[in-house]
Amino acid sequence: MHSDHEENYKFAACTFFAKSHPGETCGSNGLPLTPSSISILGRAQRLLSIEHPNLCTYLDIIRGKHERIIVVAEVIGKSLADLKKKLSTEEIINVARQVANGLQYLHANNITHRTLSDDNILIDLNGKVKLFNYGIFYMTYGGSEVAFPLGQPRYLSPETILNSGGPTADIWTFGVILLELCIGKLWAKLKPGPILRRILGLVHVNDPAKRIAREHNSIEEYEQLPKYLQTLIEKCLQICPSKRATITEILQDLSNVDTKEMCAVKPPRGLMGCKLQYLYHWWQLAGGDIQVELKRNGLIKNSPPILSIPVAILLDGCTIGGKTGVLYDRRIAKYSIELLQSRLSHVSAHDYYPLMHERKKQNDAVTLPKTIRERDTEYQFYRLLWFQRLLHGYPYTAPYIRAEAEIDIPPLVRGDVWAALLGVVGDIEEQYERIDKETPTPTDRQIDVDIPRCHQYCWLLCGSAGHRTLKRLLKAWLLTNPQYVYWQGLDSLTAPFMYLNFCNEARAFACLSAFVPKFLHKFFLKDNSAVIKEYLAKFWQMAAFHEPRLATHLHDINFVPELFAIPWFLTMFSHVFPLHKIVHLWDAFLVEGPSLPLFMGVGILRQLRDTLLESGFNECILLFSDLPEIDIGECVKEAIDMCRSSPRSISYRRFTNDTVKKDSMDQVEIPMEVLFVEICPRISLSDFFSLICEDKCCVVDIRSNLLYEKSCIDGSVNVPYSGVHLGRHELRALGPQPERALQQAIKMKRNVVIASAEDETAQLFSDYLVKCGVPRVCILHGGIAALQTHIPSLFITPPTGNTGK
Amino acid sequence: MISETIQNTTKTFKYSFPTCTNENVLFNLEVPVDIPYDGSTRELVQRVINMFHIPVYLEEELNDRLSEFVADETKRFHNERDEELLNKLKNNEINLDDVVQKWEKLFKENVVEFAEQKGTPDEEVFAVAYHKLVHSPALETILQVENSYAKTVMNTLKNRDDDIVKLTQKQTEEMEEKVRLLNTSTTEVEINELATQQFEEQALVSGRWGSQLDALCQTQRTHHRAWLMATLQEYQTTSALHTPSNSPLGIFSPSPCSSLPEAPTRPRLEESFTIHLGSQLKQTHNIRIVAMDLLDLCNVDHDNPTESSRRLQTSLSLYSSELSAVILLSESPPERPSPPTTQLVDAAKSSTEYHFHDVEYQLREISKKVKEPVERRNTQRSKEQNDSNNTQTHNNPFRNRWRQNLQTGDIYLTKHSNLADVHVVFHLVADDSSLRSGDITSRHPVILGLRNILKAACSNDITSISLPLLLRHELSEEMTAAWCIRRAELILKCVKGFMLEAAGWGGAELRTLQFAVPTNTAPEVFSTLANLLPSIFRISNPVKFKANS
Repeated sequence: MHSDHEENYKFAACTFFAKSHPGETCGSNGLPLTPSSISILGRAQRLLSIEHPNLCTYLDIIRGKHERIIVVAEVIGKSLADLKKKLSTEEIINVARQVANGLQYLHANNITHRTLSDDNILIDLNGKVKLFNYGIFYMTYGGSEVAFPLGQPRYLSPETILNSGGPTADIWTFGVILLELCIGKLWAKLKPGPILRRILGLVHVNDPAKRIAREHNSIEEYEQLPKYLQTLIEKCLQICPSKRATITEILQDLSNVDTKEMCAVKPPRGLMGCKLQYLYHWWQLAGGDIQVELKRNGLIKNSPPILSIPVAILLDGCTIGGKTGVLYDRRIAKYSIELLQSRLSHVSAHDYYPLMHERKKQNDAVTLPKTIRERDTEYQFYRLLWFQRLLHGYPYTAPYIRAEAEIDIPPLVRGDVWAALLGVVGDIEEQYERIDKETPTPTDRQIDVDIPRCHQYCWLLCGSAGHRTLKRLLKAWLLTNPQYVYWQGLDSLTAPFMYLNFCNEARAFACLSAFVPKFLHKFFLKDNSAVIKEYLAKFWQMAAFHEPRLATHLHDINFVPELFAIPWFLTMFSHVFPLHKIVHLWDAFLVEGPSLPLFMGVGILRQLRDTLLESGFNECILLFSDLPEIDIGECVKEAIDMCRSSPRSISYRRFTNDTVKKDSMDQVEIPMEVLFVEICPRISLSDFFSLICEDKCCVVDIRSNLLYEKSCIDGSVNVPYSGVHLGRHELRALGPQPERALQQAIKMKRNVVIASAEDETAQLFSDYLVKCGVPRVCILHGGIAALQTHIPSLFITPPTGNTGK
Repeated sequence: MISETIQNTTKTFKYSFPTCTNENVLFNLEVPVDIPYDGSTRELVQRVINMFHIPVYLEEELNDRLSEFVADETKRFHNERDEELLNKLKNNEINLDDVVQKWEKLFKENVVEFAEQKGTPDEEVFAVAYHKLVHSPALETILQVENSYAKTVMNTLKNRDDDIVKLTQKQTEEMEEKVRLLNTSTTEVEINELATQQFEEQALVSGRWGSQLDALCQTQRTHHRAWLMATLQEYQTTSALHTPSNSPLGIFSPSPCSSLPEAPTRPRLEESFTIHLGSQLKQTHNIRIVAMDLLDLCNVDHDNPTESSRRLQTSLSLYSSELSAVILLSESPPERPSPPTTQLVDAAKSSTEYHFHDVEYQLREISKKVKEPVERRNTQRSKEQNDSNNTQTHNNPFRNRWRQNLQTGDIYLTKHSNLADVHVVFHLVADDSSLRSGDITSRHPVILGLRNILKAACSNDITSISLPLLLRHELSEEMTAAWCIRRAELILKCVKGFMLEAAGWGGAELRTLQFAVPTNTAPEVFSTLANLLPSIFRISNPVKFKANS
């Protein structure tokens, strides 16, 4: 009966069209109505997270062109409809028990099946039963988002036919299926009309089950059934919904029946033992295409579009002629994973179970760009299994996860990995539950205005389910952070977390709550001007540090970061880039820490350098008003390089969540007014010391040569400030020896540290160097005096005649 | 469809717990809850606890009680509603036939297994066959055959025109002669008779030619379709297809006609851009501004060998999901075409239409099909107008006709397989006088019509559209440079908005948008208009080659 290859079918797809809205209707908020397919997509997301032994796991909901929805789900064995032989009583009880189990889980989760039928109850060789596509009624909002009727006529309960019905309708259907299993298919030769008439006719009789059996000339057969089975069927086939048994009662009854325990099947190992979601993901990466098989089975028919062009469209959008509705086809297309099996055939058995402390072999693909790695079947295979292992051990494996995330994060588990990187632990569901997300607050109005404008190109975020979730998240966050207010941009900031944790609001919330203090401490204060000003000043310093020419140009045309960079940092770029780029960007932020965004800003400027250098103020404003395409991969790489090669202390900000008291050697804090005028950042004594030790800096001492000759830092160059012509932006003007030293420093990518006796001269001289185009210039915090107190050992008396001139 | 909007109810959840000093005195809690409740009851419990300062040790109990309450009430809600319905049915208060017929209809019209079995329609079979053939080595032959057929038609047309010219000349001479002799040897009556006679002659000649042309096209169409199907058969049986051997090139071979060397044309003013749209996710489109007559996209010059490459592209994509379309403004209803629709009709009739109905038939069909909905809409509209403006006179003599006419902003569509570059023509009905004026706004019906066109393009796989940028096909005196710029700016901004909007509709992506301005636009005006494009649309970053990076 079953053939072997059937076991290879792991998932199946079915497809239908969502209803299209007629003409030009608008929603109550004045915005165009959300397309039905978007609503379905949003609502169906919840189904993706359902896992139960008697339910086929949903794997994917795809929105195709022209309102097409494709549902991909797990599949096993074959359906009861395809099962030709008659089942024994024992087998019937087995099927009934498992179906009831699945139904109970659905009802407990407030999901009504409504379309239960013999073709979506699947049974495999071992007698395992699963319900397939049990969510179509749920995902289509009770069928209101599709044009076709749900269910098959013979399984509709009387109240369903009267356009009503709740979860108890499933009990009726369950009863009809049991009866069918016992006496054969009902009303096999009738058309829908007569069938419905017959069902409605049952309201006048007391024992519908017997009546149906009699109608099919099977009353003897029916009466020969075990008594408990008859009772069960009759308990289900009650006309009056309140008299029908509940699913829990049915399960109880069934558990009282003695049957052989199903023989335990050993869980499969190797590829077949992997999570179905992973298999589906890999299969797609290996070239599997859902639509191809649907087309082959005639489930997607492409009639040439020119044949269905309308003849006229009136002003109000009323279309005359053209397309007629496409018929709903209940059939499914099954997919085997042979493709994947052959692709991974060379993988040895123990690669499926990677050990944490085993030395791992490096995959060659690591050198390729991230976007390519994410599409490499084999690479993702190893990465996913490895991450699965690591995530299993979280929070104890947190350091390992961080180390691996530095390489890359498999897209399929990005949500989990981000949560791990942000240190999300504990019973987040309960914490989230405790927050009141419903009571109206004065900010609601602004939130309602912003949400329909937030990343709406993303199908998940633009539906009503997405809007609702985002609003709840924002309200919850505002309520738990009373010190903060809603600044526009918070919505964009929340979007990536919501996108990755669409069905796990609690985790999205926990991630957001952990992210803000780390990256945007105090950014959402009612008066956040000081915080933002400091951030922008720091960003400007980093720009001068890594891109002196560009910074000088922007300074000259007075194009200050206040004009363009506030949304960059307030939303950590989530307002600027599309989600698929944000995730890569944030992957890096979460691993590298809170100073990377500053360098990311510089990275963007660097990518636009050529254009910016040619542009005046107006062109710059125009350019940034609608940022051109940025190569995120490249930008992140450069930002990380810059971040890692810069001394830690130069990106110091006072408004961070760091509570650790700093040693005076690490101090670089200066009054805000000073920060706003200084173009070059300060370097702390301890960073300076390590640079000296690693021979990675060029020290320019700008005290007078008298002081210098008395005592100076070993290896430093003396450029007495009083002798510098600030108007001449040429290194040559400094004299041959300093010029050589600085050129050497530029070539070797050394940091140029200005050491001075007083701040003003250091500041003016560092500005001067930036204008000369010297990169990596910073000022020694505290100057010579501080250095002399803390690290006197660095000082020597220079041999005379070494002072240039 | 089936489920009507569920009427919710509100039930009050009651809960009481002892006061701290006296076991018998109870705090009573009453919370109204919507049934069915679509949120989490556990969250509701938290809100209740916070709001009423309920001791936290009751949390667990409250959780259980509330979820039980909601479950019970929901069940009762469903059951009561359903029982009421079922009782109504039992008491014959519900019309059973209505219910059953509604379901029957739903199943029959929407679900494959209950629908009437229909074979694939002929046009689809032919579409598949043609699509297969044009993507095979037979393509060239097909195009040659079509071209030679077209030339035959062209020759016939030419002969007809010659004939009519000759006749007209002869008649004019006759008439002149008669008029000269008026009052000498002829009378007015005679002249009138002659005029009638001449008119009849004209009608006869054009009628004769007309039926001859129709017959020719009909024969060509039948032959061509039969030949295509036969060729496909051969293709499928031999599976290796070389140039078809049974080409009917000989049958309608045109008399050789000397093609004049093409007059050197002025280089066309045109500029193209690749643009990005969207604030975060960017979509790429191609935009072109060009000084041309939009009808050039329709006219095929069958004698010009370079035209075959245009035709080739159009044939290849005819049954694909990358259609191209042109928007023509039309002042007249489909059944009484005026320029530019008449020019389109001429272009479409210059060769046989093998795939669709001929253009005149299409226009007649359109006017038949739109009559009823348009009348309904217009009546509705005038009613609304009258409601707001009661003083209006009702005795408008054109009222009846007006009632059935398409109005400004309405669109009708024709489809073609034999035009040079386009498959679909959107005829945007527009009242010329309102378009002449300089002050139309983004709420003008023509602009809304444009939006409908872009929307229709999106849902019908039209990926390339050409439209008149100034909403005028020809220059006229009021179109000063300032006028042109203002109009262009309006159209470009509106179109940009519509394109952004279309991104969410989930249909075909618009790839190419071509804005045409009249051919005789001054080069200075053209360059100003061309400069508008990059200022309104964001031009995508050109990839710059850096020598030392």
